[in-house]
Amino acid sequence: MASEADNYALEEALRLREKHGGETVVLSVGGEEAAKVLRAGLAMGADRAIQISRESVDIFDEMHTAEALAKAIEKDGGADLVLTGVQSDDLGTGVTGVMVAEFLRCPHVTVAIGVTAQPDAKTVEVSRELEGGIIEQVEATLPAVLTVQYGANQPRYASLKGIMAAKKKPYAVWSTDDIGLSQAEGLFDVKEIVLPERKSHVEILTGTPEEAVTHLVEKLRKEAKVL
Amino acid sequence: MILVVAENQDGRLRANTAELVVFAQRLGRDLGMPVVAVAAGVADFELLKAAKIERVVSFEISNLESYDFSLFIPALRSLIEQEKPAVVLTGHTTQGMDFMPRLAAALRVPLAAACVDYEKHGDRLVLTRQVFNGKMNLKTLPRGSGPFLATVVPGAFSADEMEAGGTPEVVKVSVDPGSTASGRKALGRTQAPKGQVDLTSAPVIVAGGRGLKQKENFNLISELADALGGAVGASRPVVDAEWLPREHQVGSSGQTVSPKLYFAIGISGAVQHLVGMQTSRCIVAINKDPEAPIFKVAHYGIVDDLFKVVPALTKLIRDLKG
Repeated sequence: MASEADNYALEEALRLREKHGGETVVLSVGGEEAAKVLRAGLAMGADRAIQISRESVDIFDEMHTAEALAKAIEKDGGADLVLTGVQSDDLGTGVTGVMVAEFLRCPHVTVAIGVTAQPDAKTVEVSRELEGGIIEQVEATLPAVLTVQYGANQPRYASLKGIMAAKKKPYAVWSTDDIGLSQAEGLFDVKEIVLPERKSHVEILTGTPEEAVTHLVEKLRKEAKVL
Repeated sequence: MILVVAENQDGRLRANTAELVVFAQRLGRDLGMPVVAVAAGVADFELLKAAKIERVVSFEISNLESYDFSLFIPALRSLIEQEKPAVVLTGHTTQGMDFMPRLAAALRVPLAAACVDYEKHGDRLVLTRQVFNGKMNLKTLPRGSGPFLATVVPGAFSADEMEAGGTPEVVKVSVDPGSTASGRKALGRTQAPKGQVDLTSAPVIVAGGRGLKQKENFNLISELADALGGAVGASRPVVDAEWLPREHQVGSSGQTVSPKLYFAIGISGAVQHLVGMQTSRCIVAINKDPEAPIFKVAHYGIVDDLFKVVPALTKLIRDLKG
């Protein structure tokens, strides 16, 4: 967890813990960057942290990360509910959480905006967002993986007390060997990263704000004929 | 073989189906391979029957009350294992992203999510992915013998370019929902309340984004909308910050709009926003950052401080109308 969306996932996890008890563990793959994120998670209120130490994380290969997360969760004795952010800030594709579910052989629900747990029934009821403003209600059997949407809640800030307490909380560092992850090759070769080509050529109107808007209105009236 | 998994939207083919077929037809031509399409739980797939492709496989399921793609994953897996397609395509949508990552992990094959294009590099396939919120494209070469999976960003290919006039063979496969234990059950759906704002029928939309900096500044947007007789739209961060209610949101998790005239003001243009408005007839972007992705879809742009440009524009429109 290293992205903005993960804050909503952690907040959701903390609220479930406050309501139903249990333990909230924060887990991440990576080097110093991951450690920073885990410490912030502990300060927000997580009970303990596990860092899967890997200096060179291939951020272009979500499957590697997903498998490492799944293996670590299994080594830790499993989780009733795994929450991740809906997508990362870099690739931003929302692949990893769903892959974790496949590796754990459990159900997943994406784009969650509300979670109600029924611990006795071993289920969660999740509302999720679909395109076009449609909200779907889904029931999933635990254990399950949820990817939590931006804005699903209002993540709390770490208090000074929380930051101090975080220093005393259990923090485990596992190597990829510890979790039994083979150093398999990635599934992609990266050719290059480029700026996207422009499909339509935008016409930029220049000058002072007054000149620019005068040109714009003229174009909208005479050229585009939309005004 | 190139396999297209057409999406099911409430029992019908989703609007991006023709775009997926266009991608598959081009890829098929370049790689010398036939195209096969899967329709899952869709009664009417005339569009696919008319497409110039080799075959349509229809997954049929009885008593389908609420649609859940997880019901079709096992059927799709066995089809893939049997037919060994080189590439499997579906849309980069909530539905596509619900099952493709699972398929990729189960088969241990590469998944290029948010794909917008492809090219050939020697004898290898290059899949171009949209990353960093659409600001950059990442060209990747999947390794191994395939199949290579890809989710295709809606709008990346033009539906008009689909080659029709084919007579594909139609194969029906019945899927038994009882044989799958997805651990997941859809309970129902509701439409988020739209309130008084129906952006989909507004001829003019003035939308504001994070560039407005704070809630109070949104009156710049509503004043321009008033002057133009248009509706007020917003990007996701604005709604998340509760500057405006959710019914104003344009984008993949809000409303999809296609007005005559769309103003994107202080909106950088994350892909989730672009998919909700890029088919507007005329798009005007006002943004300080000349590199903002919104300028990729805009027809006219002003690269300047919106706090100076917008009041000037509102005044001009008022003067012209008054």
